[in-house]
Amino acid sequence: MTLLKPSSNSLSCAEFQEQLPDMFASGGTGYIDDPDLLEHLKTCDNCSALVRDLQYIADQAKQLLQPTHEPSDSVWKKIQEGLASDSSYAVEPNEK
Amino acid sequence: MEVQGQQMTETKTAPGLFKRNPPIAGEAEAIERAKAGDAEAFSKLYALHKRRVYTLCLRMLGNVSEAEDMTQEAFLHLFRKIGSFRGESAFSTWLHRLTVNLVLMHLRKKGLQLVSLEETINPSEEDSPKRDFGSRDTQLAGSVDRVALERAVASLPPGYRMVFVLHDVEGFEHNEIAVMLECSTGNSKSQLHKARLKLRELLRQSESNQLADVKEAAL
Repeated sequence: MTLLKPSSNSLSCAEFQEQLPDMFASGGTGYIDDPDLLEHLKTCDNCSALVRDLQYIADQAKQLLQPTHEPSDSVWKKIQEGLASDSSYAVEPNEK
Repeated sequence: MEVQGQQMTETKTAPGLFKRNPPIAGEAEAIERAKAGDAEAFSKLYALHKRRVYTLCLRMLGNVSEAEDMTQEAFLHLFRKIGSFRGESAFSTWLHRLTVNLVLMHLRKKGLQLVSLEETINPSEEDSPKRDFGSRDTQLAGSVDRVALERAVASLPPGYRMVFVLHDVEGFEHNEIAVMLECSTGNSKSQLHKARLKLRELLRQSESNQLADVKEAAL
């Protein structure tokens, strides 16, 4: 962990972490090509762990795309009622 | 139909969203039949998409009753406007965009001003992710299960949750989110980063609680 800047080329953790929103902005992959950022990452366990975790969270989020929740039956009934009251469509009351 | 200033017509979709929303067997035929007013086709489209639409509403709203109401609204809008769907983007992408816009309009009506995320739904100081550069971080174990992640996402402050769900789960780009939430792209990026930091905090907390439970059970 780097609290102070040891040389003009090295970044502090705060400076490194300020760059993270942009680093992760495109696709959430956290691809790093800036030499100063890479250098900090090599020497700072704390920021390396942070970057790995943020990448992991972004990856895991994709599994949430698969739906897990189901609306109750009353939702479809209300939709049918709504459509039935619309003169454009005629929906059978008990159809599902 | 216009939902909060945004036309409910199709827009060209980012290639990533096509990958995330592949065509579903029988969907194209059901769409064409639904355009002609076929009630059975409506039923089929509802059966195909109800879970994803409802899950999206639930994640954005965090409330079962409101999520069901918005699911109902989304499908009623869909069925009334299905004639304007031209098949230029994935049907599910079109439906999800419609749903997101309806939920955002609902939240605005409720008084949640989404115009400026930073000023209005930015979480309070205690909800914000902690930035402590002096303490040593422990890394996540790398085995976060779906239930733990769901729970952590549900407990995010609304502003963070909204951007996280739209970007990381639903696959919208920052420029699209900026238009939907009427904020800057930079704001969307910043909210997403804070959301992930907050999630990390919540997941680490959940891991250490689990560890404590295991230790207690072993005693």
